[in-house]
Amino acid sequence: MSTGTEENARSGSAEDTRGDGQSTSPTADSRWPAVQPWLSLAARLGLAGVLGYAGYTKLVVPALSVESVAAYELFSDGVNQFIGYTLPLFEIALALLLLTGLATRVTGAVSALLMAVFIAGIASAWARGLSIDCGCFGTGGAVDPDETAYGLDIARDLGFMALGLFLAVWPRSRFSLDRVLGLYPGSERQR
Amino acid sequence: MSKESRRANRERLRQERIKEQKRAKRNRLLAAIGAAVAVVALVVGGGYLIMQASNGTSAEEYQGDLAPQTLQEDGSVVMAREGVQAPVVEVYADYQCSHCARFEKINGTNLKELAANGEAIVHFRPVSIFADAGAPAGANSLRGAAAARAAADYGKFVEYNDILFDNQPGGNQEGYAVEDLVAWGEEVGITDPAFAERVRSENEVVEEFVENYYPELSTKARAEIPEDRLRTMRLGDLIDWGEDNGVDSSFMDGSYVRQVLDATAAVNAKYPEGRNAFGGTPSVYINGELLGNETYSATDFPEAVRAASPGTVDTRPAAGDGSAEPSASPSASPPV
Repeated sequence: MSTGTEENARSGSAEDTRGDGQSTSPTADSRWPAVQPWLSLAARLGLAGVLGYAGYTKLVVPALSVESVAAYELFSDGVNQFIGYTLPLFEIALALLLLTGLATRVTGAVSALLMAVFIAGIASAWARGLSIDCGCFGTGGAVDPDETAYGLDIARDLGFMALGLFLAVWPRSRFSLDRVLGLYPGSERQR
Repeated sequence: MSKESRRANRERLRQERIKEQKRAKRNRLLAAIGAAVAVVALVVGGGYLIMQASNGTSAEEYQGDLAPQTLQEDGSVVMAREGVQAPVVEVYADYQCSHCARFEKINGTNLKELAANGEAIVHFRPVSIFADAGAPAGANSLRGAAAARAAADYGKFVEYNDILFDNQPGGNQEGYAVEDLVAWGEEVGITDPAFAERVRSENEVVEEFVENYYPELSTKARAEIPEDRLRTMRLGDLIDWGEDNGVDSSFMDGSYVRQVLDATAAVNAKYPEGRNAFGGTPSVYINGELLGNETYSATDFPEAVRAASPGTVDTRPAAGDGSAEPSASPSASPPV
């Protein structure tokens, strides 16, 4: 988190204080504080879209969501059912928080953690030689061995994880509830 | 001195103000996190309760009489009242496919009811998309399909189909053992020793396929067919290619294993592309239109069937099977 504090300290000195595009003459030093909230906004919306979509596609057919979890052969039937039902809901809840920008740092970190869990699951399926679809977006289960795409799935999840980590490090963003609440202001006068 | 103390005083006030600000900020942060946790709890908890409440997966087991089952030339089975005019519901399933078992669990009862009420012509079309998955999944898939086909010879396909899906092995598990397959036959009333014999001989074909034939075919194909072309070839194409390139498949001749592989090739040819492309199992078509998520809904599925117009079955009854093809004429046959 050292980067985060450094960032806050730096942006505290920035001219861009009152929020509405006051940044004039972007020198090398002042450009980042001006750009970062927009980048974080993009990360928020991107990750919210991914999680929301992943949750929605699973939620429309809960039976298949359970089936996707079962395909990993990691849990008992009862646990599979529980995860199959709650995981898509959890994804949607995270998407809502990201969309509104509430508790961005924590939400970003949790999202990244969730991706890490997904990656671990996919890697374990890969290592055990299972032939399954990751079930990341609704359609999971066993597939033909030629149709597995573990490497691609993991790479994609790593990308999403990076978005979550970005938010955990730089939570300050445009159009967020956090901003309304005065969290992660960076613009607040330090004195 | 007094100047000194005034400065210290001011300094202390400043420190306190900073402390106060920090405390307020921490409170806001905690409030935000608390709100976030509340949102998650609400969405997950509330959603879970709603899903539990509307969990319509296990409809009651169908207890009534089944509509007549008619074996078709290609080994598929039509379940419909005689001469009925109704939408044709094609069910393509693989006995090793977990989603197929799920579909059966959710809509098996509906299929039987719709057929018995004359509201649908249900066309069971077993395939094997896992045939080339090696042992155990590929072997399970083929062994299950061949046994179901054998049960169809005795008019017990639908009952046998249920038992197979109820006992579906996991993806990495050896399952559908010969002894079980025979015992399940007895369970549905097939006592003819020829059934057991058939299941055994089919199993030998399956073992040959999985252990020798397919590995050889696959190795040879990888060595001789350019990769981009190989990727577009399905198992049926590969078998044909092997036939011309010295990988003999005649050990399958006359077997139900061959028949289910042919059926798999046929569905790929029947629905090759576009919106209705056959992309895996289960695939359920109503009058040739591929169903989407309704497939897994015990309420939307029968609704979709009832909304469809009558269709025609595209296969013919197997020779020697007494029952007639469902004709286009409306019939006044009583419910069975």
